[in-house]
Amino acid sequence: MEASLGKKPVLIVDDEKNIRLTLSQALETLQLEIDTAVNGEEALAKLEAKRFGLILLDLKMPGMDGMEVLRRVRETRPDIKVIIITAHGTIDSAVEAMKLGAVDFIQKPFAPKEIRELATKVLDRDNISAEKAKGYAEHIELAKKCIGDREFDSAAEHVRQAIAADPTKAEGLNLLGALQELGGNRLEALKNYRAAIALDPTYMPATENLNRAANWSPKGDITLDEPKATDDQEEGKKA
Amino acid sequence: MANDLFIVIVGCGRLGSHLANQLSRAGHSVVVVDTDERAFGNLSPEYSGFRMEGDATEIAVLKQAKVGKADLLIATTRDDNVNLMVAQVAKTEFGIQRVLARVFEPQREAVYQRLGVETVCPTAVAAELFLKSIAKEGPA
Repeated sequence: MEASLGKKPVLIVDDEKNIRLTLSQALETLQLEIDTAVNGEEALAKLEAKRFGLILLDLKMPGMDGMEVLRRVRETRPDIKVIIITAHGTIDSAVEAMKLGAVDFIQKPFAPKEIRELATKVLDRDNISAEKAKGYAEHIELAKKCIGDREFDSAAEHVRQAIAADPTKAEGLNLLGALQELGGNRLEALKNYRAAIALDPTYMPATENLNRAANWSPKGDITLDEPKATDDQEEGKKA
Repeated sequence: MANDLFIVIVGCGRLGSHLANQLSRAGHSVVVVDTDERAFGNLSPEYSGFRMEGDATEIAVLKQAKVGKADLLIATTRDDNVNLMVAQVAKTEFGIQRVLARVFEPQREAVYQRLGVETVCPTAVAAELFLKSIAKEGPA
């Protein structure tokens, strides 16, 4: 609807000063207006005051955490794009975030170019249309767009087309797995995570998803605590 | 765009931390890797980059530091062999264009250069400065 989404301001939410600084410096060159918030409360206040097009959101913050911010944002501003900032290592809450329409993650540490590329990709996603999409990359982008709109069924359909276009990519299978997990189809999800790992044993997101999904508590509680050195087990136990 | 490099520095001792502080202040995005978390105490309060505890001779650690995306890697640990190995891996495995390393033993410099690694040898640099200073004063 709104053609110039790319010109809308960007909000950076992180409690660490150096992260806010790195991200703003990297995005400044895209000629975007940038605002920052140090915690969830400030972020929500700023979100009410201005119409942001994109949020870069840290999940782990003192006080109101990023997931809660995401939840509230989804109620009031479902159109807003969100990129999740994660510490290096695991993304325990990836599926939870996806349920709330956030499918793009950037892991610390980040290179300025990487930040710009991701932000551009996310902002440009609205311009891809389903009719013209062909090839793996475009279908994946479309799938992510559908997740952003929380149309999970069509997202899964696009992921399937992406996989058909290039069956050798682990990311596609991992994404399909996550979508199936969201839909409650845990067994199929596990299969796809395993297939992703079989394709590329070094693709960590699939390994982490498999570990988490394999001992997920029935209620579906997802812990935000990241295991420090050992990432093998003991995830998903906290209520 | 010159002030927008992504730089990985291995070793956060006197040299590594000094470089990290300066480069970060100049506006670059910096990651410092050191095996000892206490070494990060050498960083100035204004340092705005990332710090990562880990052994840079492990590929997984370099991957986590996103060495593959780096414009520049500087190996500054106190061990020549570690610097050489990290520099070599950065160059051949991750295909980084510019790799710099400190090397204490002047005789090793040739090996580095064959691998396309730029080196700074504190011994040679200090010797050169001493000699220059002596030549300037000279015997009257």
